Amino acid sequence: MSVTQRSPITYAVTLLALVFLYLPLAMVVLFSFHATGAVSFPFTGFSLRWYRETLGDEIFRSTLWNSTVVAISVSVVTLVIGTMAAYGLTRCAPRLRAPLALLFFLPITLPGLFVGIALLVYFARLDIQLSLTTVMIGHFVYVFPYFLLVAKAALDRLDPALEEAAADLGASPWRIFRKVTLPLIWPVLAGATALAFALSFDEFIITFFIIGPDSTLPMFMYSRLHRTVDPAINVVSTLLLAITLVFWVIAFAFAVRAARGRARATDTLLGEAAA
Amino acid sequence: MTSVAEASRETRRARFGPGALTLPAAFGLLLFFAAPLGTFFLYSFLTNSLYEVSRPLTLEGYSDALSSEVNRTLGVNSLVVGLCAAAATVVIGLPVAYWLRFAAGRWQVLVLFLITATLFASYLVRIFAWQSILGGNGLLNSGLRRLGVIDEPLGFLLYNRFSVTVALVHIFLPYVVLVLYAGFRPVSPALVEAAQDLGANAFTRWRRVILPLVAAPAVTAFMLVFVLSAADYVTPQFVGGTDGALLGVRIQAALTGVGNWPLGAALSFLMLAAFLLCYLLTVLALRLLRLDRIRFVS
Repeated sequence: MSVTQRSPITYAVTLLALVFLYLPLAMVVLFSFHATGAVSFPFTGFSLRWYRETLGDEIFRSTLWNSTVVAISVSVVTLVIGTMAAYGLTRCAPRLRAPLALLFFLPITLPGLFVGIALLVYFARLDIQLSLTTVMIGHFVYVFPYFLLVAKAALDRLDPALEEAAADLGASPWRIFRKVTLPLIWPVLAGATALAFALSFDEFIITFFIIGPDSTLPMFMYSRLHRTVDPAINVVSTLLLAITLVFWVIAFAFAVRAARGRARATDTLLGEAAA
Repeated sequence: MTSVAEASRETRRARFGPGALTLPAAFGLLLFFAAPLGTFFLYSFLTNSLYEVSRPLTLEGYSDALSSEVNRTLGVNSLVVGLCAAAATVVIGLPVAYWLRFAAGRWQVLVLFLITATLFASYLVRIFAWQSILGGNGLLNSGLRRLGVIDEPLGFLLYNRFSVTVALVHIFLPYVVLVLYAGFRPVSPALVEAAQDLGANAFTRWRRVILPLVAAPAVTAFMLVFVLSAADYVTPQFVGGTDGALLGVRIQAALTGVGNWPLGAALSFLMLAAFLLCYLLTVLALRLLRLDRIRFVS
C-alpha cells in the first residue's frame, strides 16, 4: 500500500461500475416513497403511504417474523457447529484435513438450485414434512461453508505458540480455548455470525423448494413480483435491503476490529474467502 | 454413568483429539448435503409416472432430456447468457480490482465496502430493479420519453437474453471484483512499475505482466459466474420472458407441481457434467499456457 499509482482508465471504470451497481438500487428506494403507484417517470412526489400499507399488512409482518426466526436459529447453530468445525479442522490430524475440507466446502461450489431440489427430493423420500425447520436445514448447508472460511482463516492466522504456552502451563484444552483462543478470535466469529444472518435472511433459491405452508420475506417478495403493478414491492425491497445491509455493516465493523489495520478489514471477511 | 465418563475422558481425548470437534458438522453435511445429492442422483435413473416415481432403473430421464428440442434451445441460451455474463463481469471486474489494489490509496476501504455491500443487496430486489428499469413502461423508457429522446418505448430492452445478461452481471459483479482483488493482493506494485520503467505501454503491461499474474483467479471468477448464471432460474423468469429462458427454469418446472423428477434430476446432472467438463478444460488450458505455476514471493 506504500505506492499509489495514477490510473485514470481503471479509475473511470470503477466509478462507472459503482454507478451501475447502485443506480438500480437507488431507483427502488426512491420509488418506495412515490406518491402514486406508478414505477415510471415523472416522479410526482414523496409519500409514506406504501410504507403504511406494507407495514400494516398481516402477511408481511408474519413473513418478516418467520425470516427473523429462521435467520437467528441458523446463525446461532452455525456459530456453534462452525466454530467447533473450524477449530477441529485446523488442529486435527493432517490426513483428515483434505477429506473434511472437501465435504465442508463442496456446498459452496454447487449452484443453490441443485442443493434446493436435492433436499426437496430427499425430504419427500423420507416423508419429512416441509416446514420452517427444513428451511433452516437448507440454510445451514448454504451458510456453513462461508462461516467456516472466515473462522478457519482467523484460526490459521493465530500464532500456535500462544496455545502451546498455555498447554505447557497446564491448562486444559477447554480452558485454552476459552482463555486464549476465544478472546483473540471472537470479533471474527461475531462478524461471521452476522454474515450468516444476512445470508440466511435473504436466501431464496434453496428456500423456494423446501418451504412448507409458512412463508419467509423473500418468498413474500417473490409472490408479489408475479403481480403486474404492485408499488408495495418497492417498500418490501427497501426494507429487505436495509435489514441485510445492517447485518453486513455489523459484520464489516467486527472485521475492522479484528484486523486492527483498516486496510485488511475486507480481506478478513471476504478477501481470503474469495481466495 | 458419570463416573465412567469421568474415568474415560482422558483416553477419549487421546484417541479422538480435536478432530472430534468436526463431527457435528461432518454429520450434518453428510445427512443433509451428501445424502440428498446421492438420492437425487439415484432419482435421475428412475421412471416417472403420474404422482409417482418408481423403478426399474432406466436412462429414460437422460434420453428425454437430451432428445427434447426445447431443452437444446434452453441449453444454448444458458451457454450464451452464461458466457456473456461471465465475460462481461471479468472484463469490468479486472480494471476495478486493479484500481482497488494499486491506485485506490485511502479510498480503498470505502470502495471495497461499497462493492461488498451490494453483494448483500437482496438477489430478488435486484431482479425486480431491472424489471422495473427495462420494462415497456419502465424507468428507462419513461425517462427517455420524458426527455424527448424516443417516442415509442424500446421493446428490445426486456424479455430477452440481453436483459437476463444485464441483470446477472449486476448480481455477480461484486463477487468477481472480490475474487480478482484477492488475486491482485499478492502482486507487488513493483512488478507493474518495473514494466513501466522498462518502457512498456499500458497495453503491453496488461498483456505481458498483469493478465498472466491474475489469470488463475480470473478463470476462477469466470467459471463462478458462468455456472451460477447458467443455473439461475429466477432472473430469467422475471426479465427473460420466453426468448431469454434458461435451463434452470426448465429444471425448476420439472421439480415443482406435478413435474417430472427423474427428468429434472437427469437435466441437473447433465448440467453438472457440462460444468465439470468446462472446468477441466480451463484447468488444462491454464496448464498448457503455463499460467498455473506462478507463485508469489512476498
